[in-house]
Amino acid sequence: MDKILVVDDDVDILTLVKMTLNMNGFNVEILSRWEKIDNAIQEFVPDLILLDVSLGGADGREICKRIKTTKETEHIPIILFSANIEMEKSIDNCHAQAFISKPYDLNYFLNTIKSYIKTSSQPGASLN
Amino acid sequence: MQVFTSIIVLVIFFMAYIISDIRDYRDRKIKSINGLAHVIGTNSISTLIFQDNEAAADILSELENAAPEIVRADIFDDNGKVFASYIKEGGGGVNINPVIKKTETHFTDTLLYVVHEIMHKTEYVGTVALQVELSELIAIKKAKFDLGVILLLAAICISFLIGFLVQPYISKRLLNLVNTIKNARKTENYYIPITDEGRDEISTLITAFNELMQQVMENQQKKDEFIGIASHELKTPLTSVRGYLDLLNVMEDKQPNRQCVEKALESTHKLEKLIRDLLDVSKIQSGQLQLNIKDFVMDELIDETLASIQMVTLTHEIVKGKNEYGDQVIWGDRQKIEQVLVNILLNAVKYSPADNKIIVSTEKTESELIVRVRDFGIGIPEEEINEIFERFYRTKNSSVHIAGLGLGLYICRDIVQRHNGRIWVEKEEQGSSFYFSLPLKTTLATMPKKMAQNAGTAFKQ
Repeated sequence: MDKILVVDDDVDILTLVKMTLNMNGFNVEILSRWEKIDNAIQEFVPDLILLDVSLGGADGREICKRIKTTKETEHIPIILFSANIEMEKSIDNCHAQAFISKPYDLNYFLNTIKSYIKTSSQPGASLN
Repeated sequence: MQVFTSIIVLVIFFMAYIISDIRDYRDRKIKSINGLAHVIGTNSISTLIFQDNEAAADILSELENAAPEIVRADIFDDNGKVFASYIKEGGGGVNINPVIKKTETHFTDTLLYVVHEIMHKTEYVGTVALQVELSELIAIKKAKFDLGVILLLAAICISFLIGFLVQPYISKRLLNLVNTIKNARKTENYYIPITDEGRDEISTLITAFNELMQQVMENQQKKDEFIGIASHELKTPLTSVRGYLDLLNVMEDKQPNRQCVEKALESTHKLEKLIRDLLDVSKIQSGQLQLNIKDFVMDELIDETLASIQMVTLTHEIVKGKNEYGDQVIWGDRQKIEQVLVNILLNAVKYSPADNKIIVSTEKTESELIVRVRDFGIGIPEEEINEIFERFYRTKNSSVHIAGLGLGLYICRDIVQRHNGRIWVEKEEQGSSFYFSLPLKTTLATMPKKMAQNAGTAFKQ
């Protein structure tokens, strides 16, 4: 089962994303405190990280850049996630794979995530 | 007006001056003639007592040299009979009725009468009456009046001259102020500080105007910032609402539950669009809306947009009309141009509730590709054709209620203009045609600098 780490400072969004991804057969770990992201990556070993841009006290793009430029973690695909559509323009700079704007379209959301996880066959119920 | 006021002030001033001067002269005259009458009276007491008419006449005849302005002098005895008289040669004067026991003065137009009783100790012995011609006073009056008129004319001339010299200085600054105000209204860029080096009321006015406009600008910025923050904050809970509704929509098969979810989702989409429009406007206003310029083919964009709009529009059929030039390459922000087309299409759907066809076609001029969206709806009244692209403008056609903030076309116009294109609407026999044009990539080669500037930097009007 593919593992996705979701980082967002809004707990409602975290619950929603976890529920949505669980229903689609992903193993999801949620994190509301961005400071603990390194620990979470080490312990959970995600196949993909879904990262909010406007985190309380931090810029998701900076965190993304750091993960992507660290040798141990650079292979993990990162999808940035923001209510600010303008952020999409800056994903190249921080080496993120993709950008999803909030509020998101469910199909687009799932398809984007699936396309960046190497093993494409997903067990469990599919929403499509 | 200023000159008119100064003329009135000057006239009043001169009138007051002349009147007070003449009054002064009269008072002095009365005093001196009264004195003379008293002297004559005292000198003629003995002549009256001794009934010596000749001596009295002698006294009076001396007036010819002593007071040449006296045209006639009479002395009456205690019975009121004429005792002695003197009449100046060639002078005027009139016979006056005998007056007894009376001291008085009065003026006519040309003469001053002074009547003075003559007392010997406490006994009344007679009356002296003098008639003084006022030719001197008339001459003074005339002279003063002439002087007044000359001074008045001179003052008016000077005041006109000063006005004429100062006017350009004043008008120039006021016109500058008026032009700035007009410009601010037109461009909606309210803070254009005016520099003025004067130290008069106009410069005070300009300083106050600058301060006011700065406040207006700051308030506008605050408002735009607020809209930006508020709409961003609105998006977070909306993400949850839409997300959970999406999940419910997938899980729920039973009616009417499913219909409820679908209706709720529809409203969520509308809310999303409103928030997005608000955010776009706040970005346009604060100069933060930027274009992400890339190559794209118009035809592909039209196909994609039509397909996605058709998916959510079950009531209307959106078809492609004449489309010979859709394969042209455009250099612009694909997402933003799509937003323009979506906005125009959704408007076409909204404003044609009874008819169900919408045609999208393309035309080409030498330098531009023109996209046309034709609907057969309620149309736009002639007088509104130029106004519908304004911010918060909503059609006054009240026969149908149509929801919205009046921002869509304003955003469209801004996006198209940033691409150096044009957007306009034409009235049709039924419904209307919306057009927007974009420069072809080949055309842009001749004006790359301007485009690059528009695309790369914050939008400034």
